[in-house]
Amino acid sequence: MMATALGRVSRSRSTYASLRLAVLQFIADPQWLIPSMIAPVVFALVSFELFRSAGPYFLTYAILGAGMMSMWGQTLYGSGWATGQDREFGTLEPTIQAPTPYLYVVLGRVLWNVLSGLIGGAIVYVVIVAFAGGPPALPDPVGFALLFVFVMVTLASVGVVFAAFYVYTRYAGFIQNIGEFAFYIGTGCMFPVVLLPFYTNPVSLIFPPTWALDALRYLSIPGYRGFAWGFWGDLLGAVATTAVYLGIAGAVFTRVEHHVLEEGNLSEY
Amino acid sequence: MSSSGPAIETRGITRAFDSRKGFLFREATRTEALRGIDLSVEQGSIFGLLGPNGAGKTTLTKILSTLLLPTSGAAYVLGHDVVREADWLRPRMGLVLGGERGLYNRVSGRENLRYFADLYGIPLGERESRIREVLGRVDLDGASDRRVEEYSRGMKQKLHLARGILHRPEILFLDEPTIGLDPKSARETRKLVRSLVADGVTIFLTTHYMFEAEELCPKLAILSKGRIVARDTVDRLRHLVGGDRTIEAEAYGFDDREVDSLHRLPGVSKIVTEEFGPVSRLTLRVRTDETGPEAVRAVLANHAELSVRERRTSLEDVYLDLVEEEAR
Ligand SMILES: Nc1ncnc2c1ncn2[C@@H]1O[C@H](COP(=O)(O)OP(=O)(O)O)[C@@H](O)[C@H]1O
Ligand SMILES: [Mg+2]
Repeated sequence: MMATALGRVSRSRSTYASLRLAVLQFIADPQWLIPSMIAPVVFALVSFELFRSAGPYFLTYAILGAGMMSMWGQTLYGSGWATGQDREFGTLEPTIQAPTPYLYVVLGRVLWNVLSGLIGGAIVYVVIVAFAGGPPALPDPVGFALLFVFVMVTLASVGVVFAAFYVYTRYAGFIQNIGEFAFYIGTGCMFPVVLLPFYTNPVSLIFPPTWALDALRYLSIPGYRGFAWGFWGDLLGAVATTAVYLGIAGAVFTRVEHHVLEEGNLSEY
Repeated sequence: MSSSGPAIETRGITRAFDSRKGFLFREATRTEALRGIDLSVEQGSIFGLLGPNGAGKTTLTKILSTLLLPTSGAAYVLGHDVVREADWLRPRMGLVLGGERGLYNRVSGRENLRYFADLYGIPLGERESRIREVLGRVDLDGASDRRVEEYSRGMKQKLHLARGILHRPEILFLDEPTIGLDPKSARETRKLVRSLVADGVTIFLTTHYMFEAEELCPKLAILSKGRIVARDTVDRLRHLVGGDRTIEAEAYGFDDREVDSLHRLPGVSKIVTEEFGPVSRLTLRVRTDETGPEAVRAVLANHAELSVRERRTSLEDVYLDLVEEEAR
């Protein structure tokens, strides 16, 4: 038998294959989207009730916070979780054994998680808008849409790094559970970061979505007072931190693959 | 094809695992899974690695298939270093790890294959026809669009095999491919393995069944506690014990004194004791014609219900001998 196609495996094809498999697995069992939706919707409704009088843009604020909460859940959690599942299913070994860098498989899943996060965010949006009786005011819809997509990219960059930890160790889930809540608050999903005690700021700033979210608020909430460096500073910071995360992900993945081959814990879960 | 040299060559492969137990006061233990493996496997044949559970079969398979790094030593597959040239090797090798894990259960068998076809870069134009081909080959065509979670153990194993050969590897690693299968599925799997060799694929197969190694592998190595304790053709292994006789004695319990007396008979090289409920069985390996069933019967004459008989020494006996000698 002659082996054919022994050149480089197309990375976009691997990424697409992984995205496709993630979608198929989701279709086979879609109800897991629901639990991740409950907390954000409840959170949004409560905060909306509490701060109804805070001004015309509070609805935007509540939607952004809740939407982000569900997207974070989906993107980050989902990315790490998928790799954790690879461990559990025993599919991590054959996948690593295939001539595709695992990074591209993860990327495909992260893309799916970003998309499904978007679905989650949309559901949250519809629920809240129905509750509030009308859509929120949005000064710059096009800018908002663009920035929104960028926020998802920043989330994805964190997702890839998290996934790397899942390849590294089966204990990543434990670390992630602890980190999750800190992240909700730290990135300003729930409250603007500037409202938090000052010592949490440096921690928040290591997450790219913190910057991007603050920019999104500047754009969509007139009179919003976030980080002192303002909208463009936020944007710059978001781009820079995202680049760093992607760099780390790339580097970590090459290391991680070597590490797991050394440890021989690929089939542990 | 690559070089015409050996398909696999290893030099002094060792592998240790460090594991820690406990949370606060972690206790480190070191398991030496492989203790210096030297092997050479020629191309285009089935090579069998036989050994009991825990011998190190999976560890060696994973090292050779680039999924685990050796602690020391070197291994070459198709003439390429498994550590440094893993990228070159991976598209050329197939790996089938036994067991039920390793598949995406919520999607169909066909979708599992599509996914791996993409990860292996099988040309898109050929993808579907290749999938059909391998599904037919492992006799799964009828079930290919059902979810894997509905598959039986045997069907999952067939799907594993289908994935292993999808990219037409030059060398295929099969780690206990029939483990947990019913006899019929196991037989079908062995048939498939033989048909692959006919296509020129080199197969490295591990098993803990002597009969499977005997049936499939013209050459084999026996692994015990991380060491190769025998390496030969099946025929020569048989010769190893060609002159030996095996005598079995059964009764309701033997005492140590009796066993000692049997050991003192001329030519008795080994006695294995087994219990089957109230019945004990002694299996004696005898290296001379002087000691026959009568001599054994004479020593055990006190037992009312005694049965002593001689039987042909089997490869299974050789295997158990080798493995037990090592274990002592
Ligand atoms: N990841 C691991 N961590 C610690 N010990 C391991 C690991 N993998 C295998 N071992 C140990 O190495 C030895 C050989 O295991 P293995 O190669 O799985 O044997 P076999 O496949 O022949 O049953 C066993 O003692 C096993 O417990
Ligand atoms: Mg094993």
